[in-house]
Amino acid sequence: MSLRGTFVVLACVFLILGGAAASSETPRVRVELLSEVAAFTPGQTFWVALRQQIAPGWHTYWMNPGDSGEPPRIEWALPSGFTAGEIAWPYPDRIPQGPAMTYGYSREVVLPLPVTPPSALDPGARVTLRGRASWLVCEKTCIPEEAPIALTLSVAARAPAPDPRGAPLIAAARRNVPTPSPWPSSFVATSEDITLTVEAPHLTADRLTDVWFYPARWGAIDLIAPQRVRVDPAGIRLDVARGPLRDAVGAPIEGVLVVAERLDGDVARHAFSLTAPPRPAGAHGDPTVASLLRAVALALAGGLVLNLMPCVLPVLSVKALGLVQHSSRPARLRAHGLAYAAGVLASFAIVAGALIALRGAGAQVGWGFQLQSPAFVTLLAWLFFAVALGFSGVIVVGGRFAGTGQTLATRSGYGGSFAAGALATVAATPCTAPFMGAAVGFAVIQPWPIALVVFEALGLGLALPYLVLTFVPAWSRLLPKPGPWMTRLQQLLAFPLYASTAWLVWVMSQQAGPPGVGAALAGLVLIACASWVHRALGGVRALWRHAATWTVAALLPLSIVGIVALGPLAAGPGSPAPEVAADGRLGWEPFNLERLAALRASGKPVFVNFTAAWCVTCLVNERVALRSPAVADVFARKGVVALKADWTNRDPVISRVLGSLGRSGVPLYVLYPPGAGIGSAPTVLPQILTEGAVIDALDKI
Amino acid sequence: MSTLSLTRRTFLAGSTLTGLAAVTGRGLLVPPAWGAAVAKVGEAAPAFSANTTTGKGVSLADQRGTIVVLEWTNHDCPYVRKHYESGNMQALQKEITAQGVVWLTLISSSPGTQGYVTPKQADELTSTRKANPTAVLLDPTGAVGRAYGATNTPHMYVIDKAGLLVYAGAIDDRPTTRRSDVQGAHNYVRAALDDISAGRPVQTPVTRAYGCTVKYA
Repeated sequence: MSLRGTFVVLACVFLILGGAAASSETPRVRVELLSEVAAFTPGQTFWVALRQQIAPGWHTYWMNPGDSGEPPRIEWALPSGFTAGEIAWPYPDRIPQGPAMTYGYSREVVLPLPVTPPSALDPGARVTLRGRASWLVCEKTCIPEEAPIALTLSVAARAPAPDPRGAPLIAAARRNVPTPSPWPSSFVATSEDITLTVEAPHLTADRLTDVWFYPARWGAIDLIAPQRVRVDPAGIRLDVARGPLRDAVGAPIEGVLVVAERLDGDVARHAFSLTAPPRPAGAHGDPTVASLLRAVALALAGGLVLNLMPCVLPVLSVKALGLVQHSSRPARLRAHGLAYAAGVLASFAIVAGALIALRGAGAQVGWGFQLQSPAFVTLLAWLFFAVALGFSGVIVVGGRFAGTGQTLATRSGYGGSFAAGALATVAATPCTAPFMGAAVGFAVIQPWPIALVVFEALGLGLALPYLVLTFVPAWSRLLPKPGPWMTRLQQLLAFPLYASTAWLVWVMSQQAGPPGVGAALAGLVLIACASWVHRALGGVRALWRHAATWTVAALLPLSIVGIVALGPLAAGPGSPAPEVAADGRLGWEPFNLERLAALRASGKPVFVNFTAAWCVTCLVNERVALRSPAVADVFARKGVVALKADWTNRDPVISRVLGSLGRSGVPLYVLYPPGAGIGSAPTVLPQILTEGAVIDALDKI
Repeated sequence: MSTLSLTRRTFLAGSTLTGLAAVTGRGLLVPPAWGAAVAKVGEAAPAFSANTTTGKGVSLADQRGTIVVLEWTNHDCPYVRKHYESGNMQALQKEITAQGVVWLTLISSSPGTQGYVTPKQADELTSTRKANPTAVLLDPTGAVGRAYGATNTPHMYVIDKAGLLVYAGAIDDRPTTRRSDVQGAHNYVRAALDDISAGRPVQTPVTRAYGCTVKYA
């Protein structure tokens, strides 16, 4: 055989080998085409993947290779009627190379992409998908490589048949493909930097070990520059230097945010794709002087408006009436004004301090957080009721009901003015005046000194009308002359307070149910009773009268005890019915031990999802696995009851259950098999769920 | 070289997570600005001087009044080879230097890395490849490359007569190693020079350079 003939034979051998084997080798990268199915259904899209096994020390590239490099490509030569989609890129690694940053893959990567076959194919027929893959592989030097790829599949008669080798590899790769971000995002550009904000509430910095943003395109951000990440209750903020394409910041920045979350002894990485639109500087983000000034101005305005709120107005009006008495003595008037302002500012500092401290401790609280406590709401209702009774003339402090202003302002001296300021603050907390929302929203995500400045501006706004009135005698002269009308006005102003009381009791009914309302109303009766006792014993010696009044009033704490004790009970048995799965998804029942025990005693299988709003892994698991229709089907088929144990707020019962399963945190997924004894060991699912893992576990029971 | 003041960029692996109490004065957080030292399009091109293959010093300051093109190269890089083996780079050099433009080819590969050449080897490459640069400058320390933020080979820069950097990026819009892609590609360097001679601002002043990484020390 001639040399030429040998070549032809060899070439033929290579061609045959190349056609038969699904994989091709080059010195640095071994590629093969994988499929999740060995037999596909006509017309039904399935996933294939280009797998690259990369020599140690070398790497290939992501869709945005970074400052250098080139992503792999596939040129298809598919049979007619077949279409291949784009590669769904798993998130990459950072591979810095001197002053350049590149994004890519080392060791091995599986790049999945969807293929749609035509609908007219004969079952049992065999089809070969062919193409040519090309890629750049780099270590210190870069080498472009390419290879033919091919894969033969058969056409399934009915259901597709999974490929035992390809299916798990492709499923694993698809888990690393970013899911759309569940959180809104945006960015602000300065001349040097970009601040990317991802509004992911509840996340706590100590659970996140690494956060990195991989832009989808080159140019907007400096890829090699450090990314400075801050995690606060508002979300994630990432500062990075701007990239060389100056006008790139005029358009939304797309990319992938990879968040590494610490789990029990493990770290889970989650990738989210996001598109962040540009936002004008200073709208949120960093507290520029301008944004701080704006927040302070809004807070001041909000505080002013608070004066008009139904819960505040009566208190202040009566206080203002007291001014009339003092209008002839400017010095005392000013001193009262200052005492009142001090009362407002001091109590605002206390409320703001508590708010900041609670948020610092990780609690998700906002303005009016005190109202989340039924006991506080009840106390506030009683306070309003008592003040309203005073306005109506039922309670008469000091035994005289002449000169209404005196009772609240003059007689009680400067201490009384200070107390009136504090009362105004307490009365103001349930009200959210216009303008306040934005200012408070700004304040709570700022460092504490700035937050405090904004809150005190709010307080100053509340105190301002009264302060001005006391400091500008000309204005106080505008007040009408004292007279009997003042008593009538005061009695009239009692009604907004009664209304506030009624509203607070209604709030209470939402929080603690009928028993709570009962206790709150009992307290109101006691207050009425105490004030009657006080008046009825008008002729008796003061000592006895006070003793009798306080005896009745002493019963009030019993009501509070009643609310605290009955509140949770009320919420317990009357707890909401299982969420109705309107869209065919899984309905979750809230977890409690009694329910779990009852279900297991009745022999039903139970799945418990231990989760928390601040847990990224939990969120991703719910999105990718637990919310899938296929999983919901299996739950329904197997009659598995789904319980959700929400650990967003520390819950001692859930903590104990976690502990008994050998865990100290979430996520945790536990499947109790049907009919098993109460003490038998439940199945613990992996912390990172897939649809397949959940279905497999359920199928085993 | 003394005119260059380079701050080596520090890459902080990982990221800094700080809690609620983190900081307001962001100026304090910004690390030493390497950005200030790196060439920026629209600003004065960083001054530099380097030796040619004959040992003669060439400084950018001497070129004031002339348009200067900088080309970072590495003869073994497949992307560079695409443009030399197709004759594309040589043709561009010839066409552009004929218009009185100074073309400086820079080699920033450090000794022992791919693309590093001795002055003699550099001259041989120029003659065997029939290249037409005004001069080949040797930058084995990488100081000039880092000052310009050159990350790739080829990586192209255009400096106008006033010494402003007006273009930085790729040679063309086909980021591949295929020689056939040279045909029909849009050449950004030629486009920038056309814009300059037409007296208008460079239409595409920044592009993503493509190629192999520069083999810095």
